[in-house]
Amino acid sequence: MNEELDSQLSAMFDDELAPAECELLARRLSRDEPLKARWGRYAIIGAVIRAERGVRLNAPLAGRVNAVLLAEPALAAHAAPRDRTSMRLRWWQPLAGSAVAAGVAAVSILWLRTHSPAADAQLAARVASPAAVSPAPAGAAAQGDSYIVPLPKPAGVMVPSTELANYVVAHSMFSPPVARRNLLSAFMTSEPAPAGTDEPQSDVKTIAQ
Amino acid sequence: MSADASDLSLVRRVQRGDKGAFDALVLKYQHKLVKLVMRYVRNPAEAEDIAQEAFIKAYRALPQFRGDSAFYTWLYRIAINTAKNAVVSRDRSPVEYDLDRNNNDESYDMQGRMKDSETPEGLVLTDEIRSTVNAAIDALPEDLRTAIVLRELEGLSYEEIAAAMDCPVGTVRSRIFRAREAIDRRLREVFEGGLGRAEELG
Repeated sequence: MNEELDSQLSAMFDDELAPAECELLARRLSRDEPLKARWGRYAIIGAVIRAERGVRLNAPLAGRVNAVLLAEPALAAHAAPRDRTSMRLRWWQPLAGSAVAAGVAAVSILWLRTHSPAADAQLAARVASPAAVSPAPAGAAAQGDSYIVPLPKPAGVMVPSTELANYVVAHSMFSPPVARRNLLSAFMTSEPAPAGTDEPQSDVKTIAQ
Repeated sequence: MSADASDLSLVRRVQRGDKGAFDALVLKYQHKLVKLVMRYVRNPAEAEDIAQEAFIKAYRALPQFRGDSAFYTWLYRIAINTAKNAVVSRDRSPVEYDLDRNNNDESYDMQGRMKDSETPEGLVLTDEIRSTVNAAIDALPEDLRTAIVLRELEGLSYEEIAAAMDCPVGTVRSRIFRAREAIDRRLREVFEGGLGRAEELG
Protein backbone atom coordinates (compact mmCIF):
# COMPACT_ATOMS: atom_id res chain seq x y z
CA MET A 1 0.00 0.00 0.00
CA ASN A 2 1.25 3.44 -0.96
CA GLU A 3 2.21 5.31 2.22
CA GLU A 4 1.44 8.73 0.74
CA LEU A 5 -2.01 7.51 -0.26
CA ASP A 6 -2.66 6.15 3.23
CA SER A 7 -1.46 9.40 4.76
CA GLN A 8 -3.93 11.27 2.55
CA LEU A 9 -6.67 8.84 3.53
CA SER A 10 -6.00 9.51 7.21
CA ALA A 11 -6.11 13.28 6.63
CA MET A 12 -9.29 12.95 4.58
CA PHE A 13 -10.89 10.94 7.35
CA ASP A 14 -10.23 13.90 9.66
CA ASP A 15 -11.50 16.47 7.12
CA GLU A 16 -7.98 17.86 6.92
CA LEU A 17 -7.25 17.25 3.26
CA ALA A 18 -7.42 19.96 0.60
CA PRO A 19 -10.71 19.85 -1.35
CA ALA A 20 -8.98 19.14 -4.67
CA GLU A 21 -7.17 16.14 -3.16
CA CYS A 22 -10.42 15.04 -1.52
CA GLU A 23 -12.11 14.92 -4.92
CA LEU A 24 -9.45 12.60 -6.31
CA LEU A 25 -9.29 10.40 -3.25
CA ALA A 26 -13.07 10.16 -2.94
CA ARG A 27 -13.17 8.78 -6.45
CA ARG A 28 -10.61 6.13 -5.61
CA LEU A 29 -12.16 5.37 -2.23
CA SER A 30 -15.53 4.60 -3.74
CA ARG A 31 -13.97 1.92 -5.99
CA ASP A 32 -11.01 0.54 -4.07
CA GLU A 33 -12.27 -2.09 -1.61
CA PRO A 34 -9.02 -2.51 0.42
CA LEU A 35 -8.83 1.27 0.80
CA LYS A 36 -12.48 1.34 1.88
CA ALA A 37 -11.81 -1.44 4.42
CA ARG A 38 -8.93 0.60 5.85
CA TRP A 39 -11.24 3.63 6.01
CA GLY A 40 -13.75 1.49 7.93
CA ARG A 41 -11.05 0.38 10.39
CA TYR A 42 -10.09 4.03 10.99
CA ALA A 43 -13.71 4.53 12.05
CA ILE A 44 -13.45 1.56 14.43
CA ILE A 45 -10.27 2.99 16.00
CA GLY A 46 -12.11 6.25 16.63
CA ALA A 47 -15.09 4.41 18.13
CA VAL A 48 -12.84 2.51 20.55
CA ILE A 49 -10.96 5.66 21.61
CA ARG A 50 -14.28 7.39 22.27
CA ALA A 51 -15.35 4.29 24.21
CA GLU A 52 -18.61 3.96 22.30
CA ARG A 53 -20.09 1.30 24.53
CA GLY A 54 -22.90 -0.89 23.27
CA VAL A 55 -21.84 -0.32 19.69
CA ARG A 56 -21.02 -3.51 17.84
CA LEU A 57 -17.64 -2.85 16.29
CA ASN A 58 -17.95 -5.63 13.77
CA ALA A 59 -21.49 -4.57 12.93
CA PRO A 60 -22.61 -5.59 9.46
CA LEU A 61 -24.55 -2.35 9.22
CA ALA A 62 -22.67 -1.04 6.19
CA GLY A 63 -23.26 -4.35 4.40
CA ARG A 64 -26.97 -4.26 5.22
CA VAL A 65 -27.32 -0.68 3.98
CA ASN A 66 -25.37 -1.59 0.87
CA ALA A 67 -27.65 -4.58 0.21
CA VAL A 68 -30.77 -2.40 0.44
CA LEU A 69 -29.25 0.27 -1.80
CA LEU A 70 -28.37 -2.29 -4.45
CA ALA A 71 -32.06 -2.40 -5.29
CA GLU A 72 -32.27 1.38 -5.36
CA PRO A 73 -31.65 3.32 -8.56
CA ALA A 74 -28.46 5.37 -8.55
CA LEU A 75 -29.10 9.02 -7.93
CA ALA A 76 -29.41 10.84 -11.25
CA ALA A 77 -26.62 13.08 -12.37
CA HIS A 78 -28.96 16.00 -12.90
CA ALA A 79 -30.14 15.73 -9.29
CA ALA A 80 -26.77 16.85 -7.99
CA PRO A 81 -27.14 20.44 -6.93
CA ARG A 82 -24.32 22.81 -7.64
CA ASP A 83 -23.07 25.21 -5.07
CA ARG A 84 -25.55 27.96 -4.31
CA THR A 85 -23.71 30.75 -6.11
CA SER A 86 -23.54 28.93 -9.40
CA MET A 87 -27.17 27.82 -9.02
CA ARG A 88 -28.18 31.43 -8.48
CA LEU A 89 -26.25 32.45 -11.58
CA ARG A 90 -27.49 29.70 -13.81
CA TRP A 91 -31.19 29.18 -13.19
CA TRP A 92 -32.30 32.38 -14.89
CA GLN A 93 -29.93 32.21 -17.85
CA PRO A 94 -32.11 30.02 -20.13
CA LEU A 95 -35.21 31.96 -19.11
CA ALA A 96 -33.54 35.29 -19.77
CA GLY A 97 -32.25 34.10 -23.14
CA SER A 98 -35.72 32.93 -24.16
CA ALA A 99 -37.34 36.12 -22.94
CA VAL A 100 -34.91 38.35 -24.83
CA ALA A 101 -35.29 36.33 -28.04
CA ALA A 102 -39.09 36.30 -27.78
CA GLY A 103 -39.18 40.01 -26.96
CA VAL A 104 -37.01 40.97 -29.92
CA ALA A 105 -39.09 38.82 -32.25
CA ALA A 106 -42.40 40.18 -30.97
CA VAL A 107 -41.27 43.81 -31.20
CA SER A 108 -39.97 43.31 -34.72
CA ILE A 109 -43.23 41.66 -35.84
CA LEU A 110 -45.30 44.47 -34.37
CA TRP A 111 -43.05 47.12 -35.84
CA LEU A 112 -43.09 45.62 -39.29
CA ARG A 113 -46.85 45.14 -39.19
CA THR A 114 -47.65 48.66 -38.06
CA HIS A 115 -45.28 50.20 -40.57
CA SER A 116 -46.32 48.04 -43.48
CA PRO A 117 -48.24 49.87 -46.27
CA ALA A 118 -50.38 46.79 -46.76
CA ALA A 119 -51.58 47.01 -43.20
CA ASP A 120 -52.38 50.69 -43.73
CA ALA A 121 -54.39 49.84 -46.78
CA GLN A 122 -56.35 47.15 -44.97
CA LEU A 123 -57.09 49.50 -42.11
CA ALA A 124 -58.18 52.14 -44.54
CA ALA A 125 -60.55 49.68 -46.14
CA ARG A 126 -62.18 48.83 -42.84
CA VAL A 127 -62.89 52.43 -41.94
CA ALA A 128 -63.38 53.48 -45.45
CA SER A 129 -65.00 56.79 -46.19
CA PRO A 130 -67.93 56.71 -48.63
CA ALA A 131 -65.68 57.99 -51.34
CA ALA A 132 -63.33 55.11 -50.86
CA VAL A 133 -66.04 52.50 -51.08
CA SER A 134 -67.07 51.25 -54.44
CA PRO A 135 -70.78 51.18 -55.08
CA ALA A 136 -72.35 47.85 -54.53
CA PRO A 137 -73.56 45.98 -57.52
CA ALA A 138 -77.11 46.88 -58.46
CA GLY A 139 -78.48 43.44 -57.84
CA ALA A 140 -77.00 43.17 -54.41
CA ALA A 141 -79.30 45.72 -52.82
CA ALA A 142 -82.25 43.89 -54.11
CA GLN A 143 -81.02 40.72 -52.49
CA GLY A 144 -80.51 42.45 -49.15
CA ASP A 145 -76.73 42.22 -49.31
CA SER A 146 -74.31 45.11 -49.49
CA TYR A 147 -70.68 44.82 -50.28
CA ILE A 148 -67.84 47.02 -49.15
CA VAL A 149 -64.99 46.63 -51.54
CA PRO A 150 -61.67 48.00 -50.33
CA LEU A 151 -59.42 50.03 -52.47
CA PRO A 152 -57.08 47.92 -54.50
CA LYS A 153 -53.66 47.51 -52.99
CA PRO A 154 -51.02 49.59 -54.64
CA ALA A 155 -48.99 47.49 -56.97
CA GLY A 156 -45.51 46.61 -55.81
CA VAL A 157 -46.24 47.01 -52.08
CA MET A 158 -45.65 43.87 -50.11
CA VAL A 159 -44.86 42.83 -46.56
CA PRO A 160 -41.16 42.13 -46.34
CA SER A 161 -41.87 38.60 -45.10
CA THR A 162 -38.51 37.16 -46.13
CA GLU A 163 -36.66 39.77 -44.17
CA LEU A 164 -38.94 39.26 -41.19
CA ALA A 165 -38.66 35.49 -41.37
CA ASN A 166 -34.87 35.70 -41.49
CA TYR A 167 -34.92 38.02 -38.52
CA VAL A 168 -37.13 35.71 -36.48
CA VAL A 169 -35.15 32.62 -37.45
CA ALA A 170 -31.87 34.31 -36.59
CA HIS A 171 -33.12 35.19 -33.13
CA SER A 172 -35.02 31.99 -32.51
CA MET A 173 -31.77 30.08 -32.01
CA PHE A 174 -31.74 31.55 -28.52
CA SER A 175 -35.26 30.31 -27.78
CA PRO A 176 -36.21 26.89 -26.42
CA PRO A 177 -37.56 24.54 -29.12
CA VAL A 178 -41.22 24.84 -28.07
CA ALA A 179 -41.15 28.62 -27.98
CA ARG A 180 -39.35 28.69 -31.31
CA ARG A 181 -41.92 26.45 -32.93
CA ASN A 182 -44.83 28.45 -31.53
CA LEU A 183 -43.31 31.73 -32.60
CA LEU A 184 -42.60 30.56 -36.13
CA SER A 185 -45.97 28.92 -36.59
CA ALA A 186 -47.73 32.01 -35.26
CA PHE A 187 -45.73 34.10 -37.64
CA MET A 188 -46.53 31.86 -40.60
CA THR A 189 -50.26 31.69 -39.91
CA SER A 190 -50.61 35.40 -39.24
CA GLU A 191 -48.93 36.43 -42.48
CA PRO A 192 -51.27 37.45 -45.26
CA ALA A 193 -51.08 35.15 -48.25
CA PRO A 194 -48.97 36.53 -51.03
CA ALA A 195 -50.70 37.87 -54.06
CA GLY A 196 -51.56 35.32 -56.63
CA THR A 197 -52.33 32.45 -54.28
CA ASP A 198 -55.74 30.80 -54.22
CA GLU A 199 -56.28 31.38 -50.54
CA PRO A 200 -59.34 33.55 -49.90
CA GLN A 201 -58.69 36.85 -48.23
CA SER A 202 -61.46 37.25 -45.77
CA ASP A 203 -60.98 40.92 -45.20
CA VAL A 204 -61.44 41.82 -48.84
CA LYS A 205 -65.18 41.63 -48.80
CA THR A 206 -67.43 42.56 -45.92
CA ILE A 207 -71.00 41.36 -46.07
CA ALA A 208 -73.51 43.72 -44.54
CA GLN A 209 -76.79 42.17 -43.57
CA MET B 1 -8.87 24.08 4.24
CA SER B 2 -12.63 23.87 4.08
CA ALA B 3 -14.35 21.98 6.83
CA ASP B 4 -16.32 18.95 5.70
CA ALA B 5 -14.63 18.93 2.27
CA SER B 6 -14.02 15.21 2.65
CA ASP B 7 -17.66 14.37 3.28
CA LEU B 8 -18.80 16.82 0.66
CA SER B 9 -16.61 15.25 -2.00
CA LEU B 10 -18.13 11.86 -1.19
CA VAL B 11 -21.65 13.32 -1.11
CA ARG B 12 -21.15 14.92 -4.53
CA ARG B 13 -20.05 11.56 -5.91
CA VAL B 14 -23.18 9.88 -4.53
CA GLN B 15 -25.31 12.62 -6.05
CA ARG B 16 -23.69 11.86 -9.40
CA GLY B 17 -24.73 8.22 -9.05
CA ASP B 18 -21.72 6.63 -7.31
CA LYS B 19 -23.14 4.30 -4.66
CA GLY B 20 -19.66 3.22 -3.55
CA ALA B 21 -19.06 6.69 -2.14
CA PHE B 22 -22.13 6.32 0.07
CA ASP B 23 -20.65 3.09 1.38
CA ALA B 24 -17.63 5.08 2.59
CA LEU B 25 -19.93 7.53 4.39
CA VAL B 26 -21.77 4.65 6.09
CA LEU B 27 -18.47 3.08 7.18
CA LYS B 28 -17.32 6.39 8.62
CA TYR B 29 -20.46 7.24 10.56
CA GLN B 30 -22.14 3.93 11.43
CA HIS B 31 -20.72 3.71 14.95
CA LYS B 32 -21.45 7.34 15.76
CA LEU B 33 -24.98 6.97 14.48
CA VAL B 34 -25.70 3.78 16.44
CA LYS B 35 -24.35 5.44 19.58
CA LEU B 36 -26.57 8.45 18.93
CA VAL B 37 -29.68 6.31 18.39
CA MET B 38 -28.95 4.39 21.59
CA ARG B 39 -29.94 7.52 23.50
CA TYR B 40 -33.49 6.72 22.40
CA VAL B 41 -33.53 2.91 22.37
CA ARG B 42 -31.62 0.62 24.69
CA ASN B 43 -31.50 -2.44 22.50
CA PRO B 44 -28.35 -2.36 20.29
CA ALA B 45 -30.03 -4.45 17.57
CA GLU B 46 -32.94 -2.02 17.43
CA ALA B 47 -30.48 0.89 17.35
CA GLU B 48 -28.74 -0.71 14.38
CA ASP B 49 -32.06 -1.13 12.58
CA ILE B 50 -32.92 2.51 13.16
CA ALA B 51 -29.46 3.62 12.05
CA GLN B 52 -29.86 1.51 8.91
CA GLU B 53 -33.22 3.16 8.19
CA ALA B 54 -31.67 6.60 8.78
CA PHE B 55 -28.88 5.88 6.30
CA ILE B 56 -31.36 4.74 3.67
CA LYS B 57 -33.53 7.82 4.23
CA ALA B 58 -30.41 9.97 3.93
CA TYR B 59 -29.46 8.29 0.65
CA ARG B 60 -32.90 8.92 -0.79
CA ALA B 61 -32.86 12.54 0.38
CA LEU B 62 -29.32 13.26 -0.84
CA PRO B 63 -30.47 14.96 -4.06
CA GLN B 64 -31.95 17.67 -1.82
CA PHE B 65 -28.77 18.04 0.27
CA ARG B 66 -27.20 21.34 -0.76
CA GLY B 67 -24.27 21.39 1.61
CA ASP B 68 -25.52 24.32 3.70
CA SER B 69 -24.68 22.33 6.81
CA ALA B 70 -22.10 19.61 7.43
CA PHE B 71 -23.16 16.20 6.15
CA TYR B 72 -22.97 14.66 9.62
CA THR B 73 -25.18 17.40 11.10
CA TRP B 74 -27.76 16.66 8.41
CA LEU B 75 -27.46 12.89 8.94
CA TYR B 76 -27.68 13.41 12.72
CA ARG B 77 -31.05 15.18 12.33
CA ILE B 78 -32.40 12.39 10.10
CA ALA B 79 -31.27 9.76 12.63
CA ILE B 80 -32.86 11.58 15.57
CA ASN B 81 -36.17 11.98 13.74
CA THR B 82 -36.10 8.32 12.68
CA ALA B 83 -35.37 7.23 16.26
CA LYS B 84 -38.16 9.40 17.68
CA ASN B 85 -40.63 8.07 15.12
CA ALA B 86 -39.57 4.49 15.87
CA VAL B 87 -40.10 5.04 19.60
CA VAL B 88 -43.53 6.62 19.03
CA SER B 89 -44.69 3.86 16.67
CA ARG B 90 -43.40 1.17 19.06
CA ASP B 91 -45.24 2.81 21.97
CA ARG B 92 -48.43 2.98 19.91
CA SER B 93 -48.39 -0.73 19.16
CA PRO B 94 -47.44 -2.45 22.42
CA VAL B 95 -50.05 -5.17 21.86
CA GLU B 96 -48.47 -6.34 18.61
CA TYR B 97 -45.07 -6.40 20.26
CA ASP B 98 -46.34 -8.42 23.21
CA LEU B 99 -48.24 -10.82 20.97
CA ASP B 100 -45.12 -11.47 18.96
CA ARG B 101 -43.10 -12.03 22.07
CA ASN B 102 -45.66 -14.29 23.71
CA ASN B 103 -46.51 -16.58 20.84
CA ASN B 104 -43.58 -18.89 21.63
CA ASP B 105 -42.50 -18.74 18.04
CA GLU B 106 -39.06 -20.32 18.11
CA SER B 107 -38.05 -18.91 14.74
CA TYR B 108 -38.86 -15.34 15.80
CA ASP B 109 -36.78 -15.76 18.92
CA MET B 110 -33.84 -17.12 16.95
CA GLN B 111 -34.10 -14.31 14.42
CA GLY B 112 -34.14 -11.76 17.22
CA ARG B 113 -31.07 -13.33 18.77
CA MET B 114 -29.20 -13.42 15.49
CA LYS B 115 -29.65 -9.69 15.04
CA ASP B 116 -28.66 -8.89 18.58
CA SER B 117 -25.13 -7.69 19.19
CA GLU B 118 -25.12 -9.71 22.42
CA THR B 119 -24.57 -12.94 20.46
CA PRO B 120 -21.45 -14.80 21.64
CA GLU B 121 -19.50 -14.19 18.44
CA GLY B 122 -20.51 -10.52 18.38
CA LEU B 123 -19.42 -10.05 21.96
CA VAL B 124 -16.15 -11.91 21.54
CA LEU B 125 -15.17 -10.05 18.42
CA THR B 126 -16.24 -6.65 19.73
CA ASP B 127 -14.33 -7.22 22.99
CA GLU B 128 -11.31 -8.48 21.09
CA ILE B 129 -11.34 -5.46 18.79
CA ARG B 130 -11.67 -3.14 21.76
CA SER B 131 -8.85 -4.72 23.75
CA THR B 132 -6.58 -4.90 20.69
CA VAL B 133 -7.07 -1.23 19.85
CA ASN B 134 -6.57 -0.19 23.47
CA ALA B 135 -3.40 -2.29 23.74
CA ALA B 136 -2.09 -0.83 20.49
CA ILE B 137 -2.77 2.71 21.73
CA ASP B 138 -0.96 1.99 24.97
CA ALA B 139 2.03 0.71 23.01
CA LEU B 140 2.28 3.90 20.93
CA PRO B 141 5.04 6.42 21.53
CA GLU B 142 3.81 9.33 23.64
CA ASP B 143 3.66 11.91 20.80
CA LEU B 144 1.67 9.59 18.53
CA ARG B 145 -0.74 8.61 21.31
CA THR B 146 -1.35 12.23 22.31
CA ALA B 147 -1.99 13.26 18.71
CA ILE B 148 -4.53 10.48 17.97
CA VAL B 149 -6.32 10.88 21.30
CA LEU B 150 -6.61 14.66 20.92
CA ARG B 151 -8.04 14.10 17.48
CA GLU B 152 -10.46 11.25 18.17
CA LEU B 153 -11.45 11.90 21.75
CA GLU B 154 -11.34 15.68 21.94
CA GLY B 155 -12.20 16.27 18.29
CA LEU B 156 -9.47 18.91 17.86
CA SER B 157 -8.44 20.07 14.40
CA TYR B 158 -4.86 19.52 13.21
CA GLU B 159 -4.18 23.21 13.76
CA GLU B 160 -5.43 23.04 17.35
CA ILE B 161 -3.39 19.91 18.00
CA ALA B 162 -0.32 21.61 16.49
CA ALA B 163 -0.80 24.51 18.90
CA ALA B 164 -1.31 22.16 21.85
CA MET B 165 1.73 20.03 21.01
CA ASP B 166 3.84 22.96 19.82
CA CYS B 167 4.71 21.45 16.46
CA PRO B 168 3.89 22.11 12.78
CA VAL B 169 0.55 20.98 11.32
CA GLY B 170 2.41 18.64 8.95
CA THR B 171 3.94 16.86 11.92
CA VAL B 172 0.49 16.41 13.46
CA ARG B 173 -0.81 14.90 10.25
CA SER B 174 2.14 12.53 10.12
CA ARG B 175 1.80 11.52 13.79
CA ILE B 176 -1.90 10.79 13.49
CA PHE B 177 -1.32 8.75 10.35
CA ARG B 178 1.50 6.75 11.96
CA ALA B 179 -0.62 6.12 15.05
CA ARG B 180 -3.48 4.84 12.91
CA GLU B 181 -1.15 2.67 10.88
CA ALA B 182 0.29 1.06 14.00
CA ILE B 183 -3.16 0.36 15.45
CA ASP B 184 -4.51 -0.81 12.09
CA ARG B 185 -1.75 -3.41 11.70
CA ARG B 186 -2.93 -5.07 14.92
CA LEU B 187 -6.59 -4.64 14.03
CA ARG B 188 -6.19 -6.35 10.65
CA GLU B 189 -4.80 -9.41 12.40
CA VAL B 190 -7.89 -9.53 14.64
CA PHE B 191 -10.28 -9.23 11.74
CA GLU B 192 -8.50 -11.87 9.71
CA GLY B 193 -8.28 -14.28 12.63
CA GLY B 194 -11.39 -13.10 14.48
CA LEU B 195 -13.81 -13.78 11.68
CA GLY B 196 -12.61 -17.37 11.57
CA ARG B 197 -13.11 -17.75 15.32
CA ALA B 198 -16.59 -16.28 15.03
CA GLU B 199 -17.54 -18.89 12.45
CA GLU B 200 -16.29 -21.66 14.75
CA LEU B 201 -18.42 -20.26 17.57
CA GLY B 202 -21.48 -20.07 15.29
